[in-house]
Amino acid sequence: MTSAGEAAELTRRPFTGRRLRFGDVSLQAVAGAAAAVATVLVGLIAWKVTAGAWPAIRRYGISFVWTNSWNPLPGHELYGAASFLFGTAVTSLGALLLAAPLAIGIAIYLTEIAPRLLRGPVTALVETLAAVPSVVIGLWGILVLGPVLRSDIEPSLHRALGFVPLFGPPSTTGSSIFTAIVVLTMMILPIVSSITRELFLGVPQDQKEGALALGSTHWEMVRGVMFPYARGGIAAALILGLGRALGEAIAVTQVIGGIAGGTGIHWNLFATSDTLASKIASSYQGATTNLQLASLVYLGLILLVFSLLINFFAQRIVRRGARRQGVGANRGALG
Amino acid sequence: MSAHGITRADLQAVNLPRRRLVNRLMQALATLAAAIAVAALVLIVWSVAKRGASALNLDLLTRDPAPFSFTPVKQGLENAFVGSLVLVGLATAMALPVGLLVAVYLTEYARPAIRSSVSLVLDVLNGVPAIVIGIFVYGLLVLGHGQSGWAGAFALACLMLPLVTRSTMEVLVLVPSSLREASLGLGIPRWRTTLSIVLPQTIGGVVTGTVLAVARIAGETAPLLFTSSIVGSQTSWSPTHALQSVPVAIFELSEQADPGSHARAWAAAFVLLLFILFTSLAGRWVATRNRRRLSTSR
Amino acid sequence: MPKPGTSIRITLVLALAALATAALAATAGAAPKRHAATLTGAGSTLIQPAVQGVWGPGYAAATGTQVNYSGIGSSGGIAAITGRTVDFGASDAPLSADQMTACNGCVQIPWALSATVPTYNVPGVGDTKLRLTGPVLANMFLGHITNWNDAAIKKLNPGLSLPNLKITIAHRSDGSGDTYAFTDYLSKVSSEWRANEGANTTINWPAGVGGRGNAGVAAVISSTPGAIGYVSDAYALGNHLSKARLRNAYGKFTLPGITGIEDAAQTVKKVPADNRMSIVDPPATKKYAAAWPISTFTYIIVPTNSKNATDLRHFIFWALSPKQQLSIKKLIFAPIPKVVLVAAEKTLLKIHAAG
Repeated sequence: MTSAGEAAELTRRPFTGRRLRFGDVSLQAVAGAAAAVATVLVGLIAWKVTAGAWPAIRRYGISFVWTNSWNPLPGHELYGAASFLFGTAVTSLGALLLAAPLAIGIAIYLTEIAPRLLRGPVTALVETLAAVPSVVIGLWGILVLGPVLRSDIEPSLHRALGFVPLFGPPSTTGSSIFTAIVVLTMMILPIVSSITRELFLGVPQDQKEGALALGSTHWEMVRGVMFPYARGGIAAALILGLGRALGEAIAVTQVIGGIAGGTGIHWNLFATSDTLASKIASSYQGATTNLQLASLVYLGLILLVFSLLINFFAQRIVRRGARRQGVGANRGALG
Repeated sequence: MSAHGITRADLQAVNLPRRRLVNRLMQALATLAAAIAVAALVLIVWSVAKRGASALNLDLLTRDPAPFSFTPVKQGLENAFVGSLVLVGLATAMALPVGLLVAVYLTEYARPAIRSSVSLVLDVLNGVPAIVIGIFVYGLLVLGHGQSGWAGAFALACLMLPLVTRSTMEVLVLVPSSLREASLGLGIPRWRTTLSIVLPQTIGGVVTGTVLAVARIAGETAPLLFTSSIVGSQTSWSPTHALQSVPVAIFELSEQADPGSHARAWAAAFVLLLFILFTSLAGRWVATRNRRRLSTSR
Repeated sequence: MPKPGTSIRITLVLALAALATAALAATAGAAPKRHAATLTGAGSTLIQPAVQGVWGPGYAAATGTQVNYSGIGSSGGIAAITGRTVDFGASDAPLSADQMTACNGCVQIPWALSATVPTYNVPGVGDTKLRLTGPVLANMFLGHITNWNDAAIKKLNPGLSLPNLKITIAHRSDGSGDTYAFTDYLSKVSSEWRANEGANTTINWPAGVGGRGNAGVAAVISSTPGAIGYVSDAYALGNHLSKARLRNAYGKFTLPGITGIEDAAQTVKKVPADNRMSIVDPPATKKYAAAWPISTFTYIIVPTNSKNATDLRHFIFWALSPKQQLSIKKLIFAPIPKVVLVAAEKTLLKIHAAG
């Protein structure tokens, strides 16, 4: 077993009397070219997306971000990202709020409570949820979840808690922010729970035993030893889940319904709305003017920037944490 | 233990009934959470299986769609299944060689500085949302030229590349340096060492990584909406024009009003889900088998 | 230790992958160019049933040329052909002068004739039982009438038992030719609508839920009790949606059948040079007694110069022929009247053969 650094060092050590072989040069050149291609690709993506958004950037500048309008009427065209940023924020944070306790609960269950025989199957089941494609979850959302929410759950919640503006009049079609939140929760649950589970598995056994020996109940041990130990990693896992929710376009498009009646910024979870990703998915094909197309790409640029920041930081934290705990202990320093 | 005569039971005795209650409650909540997750998964898979299986017939795979036939007519989604096959196949053909080479470069040749920057670049690529990849490929290949299977496959390949590269790197570093040293010591040139000695050790991991990446992109819809969605009903194997794909077909059918379209959407979702589950399981099985083989061979 | 020859195997696999890719590319490009293998189009969902259901398969059977079509809304079709991402665009709304300029050398040819229909989902009210007038319809879509048991609706339908049910307005969320025809009609029958909303492929809807494409609106209506929206005739037919009778200017409550559409099309005496026609809300004379007030032509938009010009000309000419016009009658497309046919074929001549 070797680290990547050692391998490279090994092959770069000068061999006296050995002339440069054509094969060596070719392989290194070809492999290096491939790496260059990957790098160029990312640069190309950043460039193309910015270039595509440029007409809108030039026209609106940064004020696009807080302009609450999407008016394609010729002569009155005005585009802004505010309602979609709001929709993205509400759906992603809502999903995170629902998924966090569920994921932590699942992780605790799988590491501390479940009988040994159940651990494997249940873990596999939860991870299978991650394998379901978003379009299938969206299909289920439209045809199964939506009608149930519309006819039973949303009206009951509205009747019971209608004084809270969050639970306003339910939408008549089953598509709503709430439906999108439920769908997104199901999509980010596997990621967050599997990372949390691995973190919990890495808690040093002696610390756990020590707490128990000192008289803690099981729950007190979890709260006092496991949570503090895993806190940073759980935060990173939640951020990763957030990144996944931000970028989800298809399932959200299928169940969120699109902004109705002017503004998308309202507190009613049971009304329809749009997110950055769903607006792009539903409108790019019918974009009628260059400015509208550029504005849609501008939305994509904003989405890209947010996703990159979130995913990048979360992945780094997770990997650093995993390395520290020896999860995947055979991995060397990959950078 | 009993220091100064204090036993564990003594320590526990403080507020014990309430603490025991809280403990029980938390256990129950955690179990409930797990139950909810399992229930959610079972709900989805059950819906897809029940509705999909009842609408599943051989026509789905052997007949083309007959849109707007308005009278019941035998139809299926053959164009979507064939299209997905071509798109995923081409995407793999594009991403696999490049991914392998990048992984080789990063583990065998690159200086640490380059290695960490390119790794960073791959992390960035992995974090780009699929819909933004769609916008990118649309601007690069579709605008002015029209949609095509090539553009769709290229978009999928962009999604696959970081996955294949990372999983190949993970197995490349597992190859013992002693192997490389021995090979070089025997006078085998570096390039032959890499290709003939080191890479063959990693086949299992590469296969796993590729299979898992395939499972991931088989269900991708967003990039294909931009690059390969204006399609005809006839089955086509040629990537010069846009090809229908199973996820896009499901997406379009899910938004139709008639129950026949819904039934076909469920059936296609069922087949897609089976394929993805099967390939994921196969990938993981190969990975476990490989890990066992590598650890015993040391 | 790796088996002998494993490296050769790896090289072979990689080489095969590269070869396969190259071979596919080569064969794909090597097809003879006499007849385009595929014509790609996008746009109006009103014409989509005709193109995907009848004309596409018919043309492929007749000539071997596949027609790939995607219903993305009329505005999408205009944008797609302007960006030349497709070979032809389809729109029920004629291009404005600005859009014509942006398209840079395109012509619009009316190639079919159909209608937009208010459709509803009200428990207890069957197909064609509901009677509405333009002003009442406008008030519903403006959000002034919010319940099905409103006095205004009851007055028009004395024999119906209308439930106490909230009205859900369903409209198009994408740029739509059906929206254009519908709002064109509402602008003519309601001064408030004309002042506040106007006629366009996309407007700021004062109320209601959006659906993508005719399919999306049909889906909203059929799954939401209390919904009313507007879809093209073929979609109302195919999804068994209940159609509302509208009172035309003459005073009769008519239905959007072939007769009603043909009568409305008779308002066209002379086709203007740019082929822009509006046949909504025909005049109140006896000649148009049976006319359906929201009928609309639909156009195919093609560049005058393109590499597929010959095939496009052939395809459009084929679609304009009497046999093909009759073949889509079952989807409630009336054959286009003679005067429009002449203008269409004249415009067709402007499409040059590929240079």
